[in-house]
Amino acid sequence: MKIKLENISMKFGDLYAVRNISLSVAKGEYLTVLGPSGCGKTTLIKVISGIWKPTEGRVTVDGEDVTDIPMEDRDTGYVFQNIALFPNMTIRDNVGYSPRVKDMAQDEVDDISKGHLELVKMFDRAGMFPSELSGGEQQKVAIARALASGSKMLMLDEPLSALDARVRVELRYEIRRLVKKLGITVLHVTHDQEEAMSVSDRIILMRAGGIQEVGTPLDMYRSPKSIFAAYFIGETNLMECTVSGKTRTGKITVRLRGGQAVRASKSDLEVGDPAVISVRPENVYAAKDGLKAEIIGVVFMGTYWKIRTLAETTDYIDYNVSSNDEVPKKGDRVYLVFNKKATKVFARPEEGLEEAIKLE
Amino acid sequence: MSVFKWINKVSNNERSRKAWFSFVCLVFVVLIVVPSIFVILKMLTEWGVVSEVFRDSVMMSTITGALRNSFSIAGIVTVIDVAVGVPMAWMMVRKQFRGKKYLDTLMDMPLAFPTAVLGISVVMFWGAPEGISIPGLGIVVSPYVMLVLLHIIFTYPYMVRSLSAILEQIEPNYETAAMTLSASRFTAVRTITLPLFRAGLVTGTILCFARSLSETGGTFIALQMMGVGSVFFTGPTFIAYMKAEYGVDAAMGSMILISVLMIILALILLVVVKLLIMRFKIPMKRVWPDFGRFVSRGAMPKLKDTVSVIFLAVIVLIPTFYIFTYLTQPMAEIDFGSLLYSTGISFLIAGVAVVFNIVFGIPIALYIARKRHTTSGKILDSLVNVPLIIPTTALGFSLALFWGSIYAGDSIGLLMVILGHIAFTFPLVVRNITGAVEEVDVSYEEVAITLGAKPFQAFSKVLMPIIKSSIIAGAILAFTRSLGETGATVAISDSVKTVPVYIMELIKADNYPEAAFCSIILIAICFMFMFALRMIINRGDRRA
Repeated sequence: MKIKLENISMKFGDLYAVRNISLSVAKGEYLTVLGPSGCGKTTLIKVISGIWKPTEGRVTVDGEDVTDIPMEDRDTGYVFQNIALFPNMTIRDNVGYSPRVKDMAQDEVDDISKGHLELVKMFDRAGMFPSELSGGEQQKVAIARALASGSKMLMLDEPLSALDARVRVELRYEIRRLVKKLGITVLHVTHDQEEAMSVSDRIILMRAGGIQEVGTPLDMYRSPKSIFAAYFIGETNLMECTVSGKTRTGKITVRLRGGQAVRASKSDLEVGDPAVISVRPENVYAAKDGLKAEIIGVVFMGTYWKIRTLAETTDYIDYNVSSNDEVPKKGDRVYLVFNKKATKVFARPEEGLEEAIKLE
Repeated sequence: MSVFKWINKVSNNERSRKAWFSFVCLVFVVLIVVPSIFVILKMLTEWGVVSEVFRDSVMMSTITGALRNSFSIAGIVTVIDVAVGVPMAWMMVRKQFRGKKYLDTLMDMPLAFPTAVLGISVVMFWGAPEGISIPGLGIVVSPYVMLVLLHIIFTYPYMVRSLSAILEQIEPNYETAAMTLSASRFTAVRTITLPLFRAGLVTGTILCFARSLSETGGTFIALQMMGVGSVFFTGPTFIAYMKAEYGVDAAMGSMILISVLMIILALILLVVVKLLIMRFKIPMKRVWPDFGRFVSRGAMPKLKDTVSVIFLAVIVLIPTFYIFTYLTQPMAEIDFGSLLYSTGISFLIAGVAVVFNIVFGIPIALYIARKRHTTSGKILDSLVNVPLIIPTTALGFSLALFWGSIYAGDSIGLLMVILGHIAFTFPLVVRNITGAVEEVDVSYEEVAITLGAKPFQAFSKVLMPIIKSSIIAGAILAFTRSLGETGATVAISDSVKTVPVYIMELIKADNYPEAAFCSIILIAICFMFMFALRMIINRGDRRA
């Protein structure tokens, strides 16, 4: 199903939870809504599913305006963060709930329930009650229940955040495999950027009730259009600087706070503009020459070492070292160089760098 | 200070803690449980006089008639309370609207009124009894219907409160989830929320049923004002009537019989009700999507809310406050000496009962809350509820028989009345505290003890401040309940005149204006007392 939002706003009292959002979701697309807590992610999918009616704006599904249709007639699957399986019913009855309340015949209800439980490989638990299942199993049943409504769109409200780390990772791929097989349009809310990266076709990055940026995971990681996106998705080193040179093809050279020149990728900025560069730790290397820095911390992350340094520019710069390699010791001096293609340049925000990456 | 130090030291000793708890249990059993059901034993020893009653067919038919009235009124009232209480509880928990706070306060008002006062007010409003110059609605209803109307008023708040308490704990997401799965709100509530609601329904039903079954003062006054006090009986008014007309000794057989029957029937019925509600399956297989949508949309929900509020206003609140219309009349002559004396007696009884119940109720509540799953915890829990279920008049009668068999003479009348009030308010205090303690994680106290606190310090400095508000709520509930009680007092002693008894006697003497003004003054005193209490408590909070 194709979903389209036009100028959606949702106000609680005087506060906008979501402000003036427009968005199109293609049929069968897997979209994650990513952002810090309190940014309006959940409000957005509650508006789409009809749980809340937007204060302003329209929601259309397959070209039909559904803004005023109550949630029970929307046919939107919704999976809750706290799972919300009905504790008074067996797994079978939970999944069969939607066909039942639509007054289908008993054998039809049973067929649908069985089919969807098999889909999530939970049919052998059909006679149990929700409290007898583990968190991951419960969430699988909740997804089966949402799909059993026959809905072609599914809202997932942080479905994995209450689960153990390993279950979380396994389940997220299973969900994606399942919905792709069924051709279902998904909006998946999460605050976990790794989760968003690994399952989505597209990511919507939200901040303070608005959409900050939309793009594929790879685009958003490699070429974020804003400092906030660069900071929130993955890890990055941000350094204030000034544009000091520009080639005819648009490649930029900047001067860092200590006066050191660094080459960076293309940008529209002009010479003399105040700027910020963003370099991810994996694009920073220790070399024989470059930015002088002192090691102030070394942490083993499991698959690599994370090295924290204080550079002569007074910036903290992190870089990664493979777990097989030699690591420097605290107090050692190193020279750092950046991969210039992966060094992104942004105009320095007027409100200041701190303000631009603040999560609230 | 040194007393607390001593308690702290003693509390550190496992054996002294056990000794204290055993003492509390002993007090509970000897002072509350045994006297409450002593009448059953008495029936066996006095079988002679009881069997005489069996042969007296006129008396038997009066007794069975009174029982039938009591139980059927309690049943009807409870069913009505459930029907109107569910939508009201819903509104109070799930909806936000202007004036909700006021509605919340208003709803509890009938609990603060002694039922004797309610009796006058209700009869005045619906009927137009002779001797009263205030025009009522003048509806001629049978005594039976009048009692139903009266009993709804003081049971309604119990029902709405019990239902709201459970509803607040049910995840609202269940309903939302059901609705995203195409269920209408009506279907969602019927299939998901109501089945999860049973515990609240059981508590509410038991409280309402027991309360209606126990009520004496208001019922007696209503029947008296309608002029049928000596021909139409409920169980409790029969006991009060027999005692007043013939005396305990002459009416011993019939009083024992009806008390025992009420106690046993009440216990059986409540077990049955509990089983029925817990086992009853709300039909789920069938749904009616169109019907569900019809009643969930448009005007229907608004209509339901409006009807709930109108019911509250017309059936509960206006009849409750109708007695204040007497303020438009010239002031009646009031015997202030007697009124203030009986007010003093009432406050003394209620005060002593509440203090006793807090001191002895807390250890029992702690035990029940912490060991609910052990057999001893379950037994204690059921025992605590016994005085709640037994009609207070029967309880009072039983208690009087028990102490009377130990010490003859009426010189300890006041003490016995206090013991009686302790017995039927004890469950109210314990249940409130148990509920609060169950919400508190036991690890708070454990942490305090690992930090070097003695067990009593862990209780007094950590747990106590957390559950303080529930203790106060339970105390206020017990206090108002004791102030309003007539049946137990009358059954225990002839000489102790509490305020409701005093008002009842004024009504018996057809002195309606004085009874009404005394009621108004009593209500004023109660409200001022509550207000002062709240002020003191709030100031204490600020200091802390």
